[in-house]
Amino acid sequence: MERFFQYLFDGLSLGSIYALLALGLVVVFRGTGHLNFAQGEMAMICTFVVWQFNDWGIPLVVSIILGMIVGFALGAGVEATIIRGVAKKSQAGVFVVSIALFLGLNSLAAMVWGNLPPEQLPGLFPDEPDDFQRIFGAVWRYEYIGVLAVALLLMGLLFLLFAKTKFGLAMRAVASNPESARLAGIPTGIVLASSWGIAGAMGALSGTLWGGIVGELNAGLMFTVFIYASAAATLGGFDSPGGAVVAGLAIGVGEQFLAGYFPGWIGQEMKLSAALLTIFVVLLIKPSGLFGSTKVERV
Amino acid sequence: MSLLEVRQLTAGYGPVEVLHGIDLDVEQGEMVVILGANGAGKTTTMRAVSGMIPRSGSVMFDGVDITKTNAEKLVGMGIAHVPQGRGTFPDLTVLDNLRVGAYSRSADISGDIERWFEVFPRLAERRDQRAGSLSGGEQQMLAIARALMSHPKLLLCDEPSLGLAPLITQEVFEVLKKLNNDEGLSVLLVEQNANLALKVAKRVYLLETGSVVASGPAAEIASDDAIRKAYLGA
Repeated sequence: MERFFQYLFDGLSLGSIYALLALGLVVVFRGTGHLNFAQGEMAMICTFVVWQFNDWGIPLVVSIILGMIVGFALGAGVEATIIRGVAKKSQAGVFVVSIALFLGLNSLAAMVWGNLPPEQLPGLFPDEPDDFQRIFGAVWRYEYIGVLAVALLLMGLLFLLFAKTKFGLAMRAVASNPESARLAGIPTGIVLASSWGIAGAMGALSGTLWGGIVGELNAGLMFTVFIYASAAATLGGFDSPGGAVVAGLAIGVGEQFLAGYFPGWIGQEMKLSAALLTIFVVLLIKPSGLFGSTKVERV
Repeated sequence: MSLLEVRQLTAGYGPVEVLHGIDLDVEQGEMVVILGANGAGKTTTMRAVSGMIPRSGSVMFDGVDITKTNAEKLVGMGIAHVPQGRGTFPDLTVLDNLRVGAYSRSADISGDIERWFEVFPRLAERRDQRAGSLSGGEQQMLAIARALMSHPKLLLCDEPSLGLAPLITQEVFEVLKKLNNDEGLSVLLVEQNANLALKVAKRVYLLETGSVVASGPAAEIASDDAIRKAYLGA
């Protein structure tokens, strides 16, 4: 039972990081119908930016907020300058461009920060060996509790933005029917750029929380997180923010259970394959995901 | 001066020109209908007027040249467009659809919402339902109510009868007529159901392959034998 709760707690905390990145994927997909392959790399760059600010002596919390602003600007800028123009010509082109972005951002990070000794990103929360709470016999480290709390708080704010504000209404309207949204006077360009911006900011937070847990930053920081986030977005349904959160947490927990209970044949090495298998199975059986909507159009 | 004054309007999709120089007027408080067969350019005319597609020629609205104004801005100036068949936001609730309709305004809109719920009681019953789950007729009414939330001076309505049962179509037309009569709302209507349209409209434009081939008062057009035979099927 102790192990059960240990895997559950660890899984929820890690899953909340996947959920943040998955939410970014979903916000972009809902707005523009694109899968942003560079989502993880944008998050990674922003994590380095947070580290850089912090290294210059800016307090960590402020650095994270600045990093999220950079993430917003990066996302919105990429949409407005690169994606929008390409999307007009070819949807498949967006796919290729986002892969190019992936490689470009990865090389950029390696170029700017690669020659330094491995950067240590301080955790946002107390992380001494005795900073933990025992719940049901399982160790729940303060760092993990904090990660889960911050992630859930930001997701809560995002859902408030979607549900309660005029801007959220505009975002939902553009996602539902872009043409009528324009006719209703909604500046669709600004809304779409902001969707990418919000995704960028979510990514920045996701990367920073993950970086704090991993401790050491490198250009490959977000590879595995991106794969888990993609699995979460697929499982939850690419157009369902709620689904991304639930699926992100579920995949985090599932990953811990698989690796913990079957150390022999899954273990730490094979658990990533489980995420890819999830994507495969969901796409085969229920392509719209658990909470996604299958589009039915009246004629 | 007419409310809407379209001169030598040309528009199309990519290299294909669909409209070859259309002249069209809508007077203040007038209901005007555009008739024509499939592919005549009726919907394209509407999309060109509301700025959804690139256009050339001149479009004057309320004394202002709007030829270069884009669609997002026009709704604030007083043109509301109900596009053909999909004027609602299927994933949003009925209430949110109406809220989106008032996006261009900053005033309190609760009175407006209640008003449209009175005009369309069935929308009131379904206020928290997703628009996509409504029947075709309810969706069309929602699309019209959504457009009217912006307080337009001119309502562009593209084939409101599309896919609706005759009885529902009549209901939709009665609402349009009532708005036109009682509140002086100017309406530019595209319609395939010519007999119905000729009953409610004051003036008619007949479109054929991107050009206006006849225009005049509805009564005149309806009684012209040659036109009846060629376009109205009776």
